[in-house]
Amino acid sequence: MTTASTTLHGLASAKDLFALTKPRVMSLVIFTALCGLLAAPGTIHPVLGFTAILAISLGAGASAALNQWYESDIDAVMKRTSQRPLPAGRMDRETALHFGIGLSVFSVVLMGVALNWFSAAFLAFSIFFYAVVYTIWLKRSTPQNIVIGGAAGAFPPAIGWAAVTGDVTLMPVLLFAIIFFWTPPHFWALALFVNSDYSKAGVPMMPVVAGRRSTRKQIFAYSLVLAVVAIAPFALGLAGSVYGISAIVLNIVFSSLSLKVAMSETFQPEDMEAEKRLFKFSILYLFALFFAVVADRLVMA
Amino acid sequence: MSEIDTSQAPMSPEEQKAFQARQKQRAVIMAGLLLFLCVLFYLITIVKIGAAS
Repeated sequence: MTTASTTLHGLASAKDLFALTKPRVMSLVIFTALCGLLAAPGTIHPVLGFTAILAISLGAGASAALNQWYESDIDAVMKRTSQRPLPAGRMDRETALHFGIGLSVFSVVLMGVALNWFSAAFLAFSIFFYAVVYTIWLKRSTPQNIVIGGAAGAFPPAIGWAAVTGDVTLMPVLLFAIIFFWTPPHFWALALFVNSDYSKAGVPMMPVVAGRRSTRKQIFAYSLVLAVVAIAPFALGLAGSVYGISAIVLNIVFSSLSLKVAMSETFQPEDMEAEKRLFKFSILYLFALFFAVVADRLVMA
Repeated sequence: MSEIDTSQAPMSPEEQKAFQARQKQRAVIMAGLLLFLCVLFYLITIVKIGAAS
C-alpha cells in the first residue's frame, strides 16, 4: 500500500534509494570487477581505475533498482523481500524507475568519458541483460532463471578487464564463465535448505519445479563444469602456478562437497549439512579464486 | 478511482515537518555527491591531459 504517511508525498528517503541498489550484492560486484581490472595486462592510473569500479558499481546498482521496480509484486508476497522500499510502501514505483534509468545512463556515460566506449557499451549491455533479459523476460518463465541471472552477475570482471585494455580476450571470458557456472550450485544449495516463498510468488525456481533430487544432481554437474572452466586459465597458459594450484585445490573441495550434496537424500532443512557446507564454501571459493587471479598476476609481473 | 488519493491530500503539520526534514537530508546528500563528482571529473581531466601530452 502506498500512502502519504509512508512515502511522505512521494519523496523517498536517501536511505531507501541506497537500499534500492542492493548494497550487499554490490560488494561482490566491486570485488570481482576490481580483480578483473587488476588482472588485466597493462596499467591504469589509480584515478581511472577508481572511476571504472565506481561506474561498474553504479551500473550494478541501477540494474538492482530496475529489478526491484519490475518485481515489486513478487517482492511483496515473499517474506525475505517484503520489507524492501517498494513493497513496504516507502517509495513509489515511478521513483524507482527514474532512479534506475538515471543511474544507468550516468554509469555508462561516466565509463565512456573516463575510460573507453567499448567498456561503456559492455556495461550498458550488462544492465540491459539483467533488467530486461533476466528480470522482465526469463525469470518468471524458466527454471533455468538462476543460470541466466548468473550471466548478469558474471559481467563485472570482464568489464573491469575491458576498462583497462579496451577489448575482451579469452581470459576475461573465462573469468565470466567461472562466475556463470559458480552461480547455480551456489544458489541452489541455498534454495534447498532455505524455505523460500518462490512457489507462492509464482517464480519457477529449480528445487520447486524439478524437485530436490534433480537439483542436487545438477549442482554436481555444474561443479564439474566449473572445475574445468576454473582450471582452464592455468591449463591454457593464461595464468601461472599460484593460480593453478589454488584453482585445483579449491575445485577439488568444491566438487567433493557437491558430490556429498548429490548423494544426500534428506528432505528436512535442519539435516541438510552438506548443502549448508557447500553454500558457505562457495562464497569462500569465489573470493579465494579471484584473489588468486590477482595474486598470480602480481607474482608473474 | 474510488479511494481518496492521499498523496494529493494536504499535509498535517507533523507530515510537513517530516517532509521538509527529508527534503533537507536529500539536498545535503546531493550537494555532497555533486562536490565529489566535481573533484572526480577534475582529476579525470588532469589524468587524461597528462596521458595525452
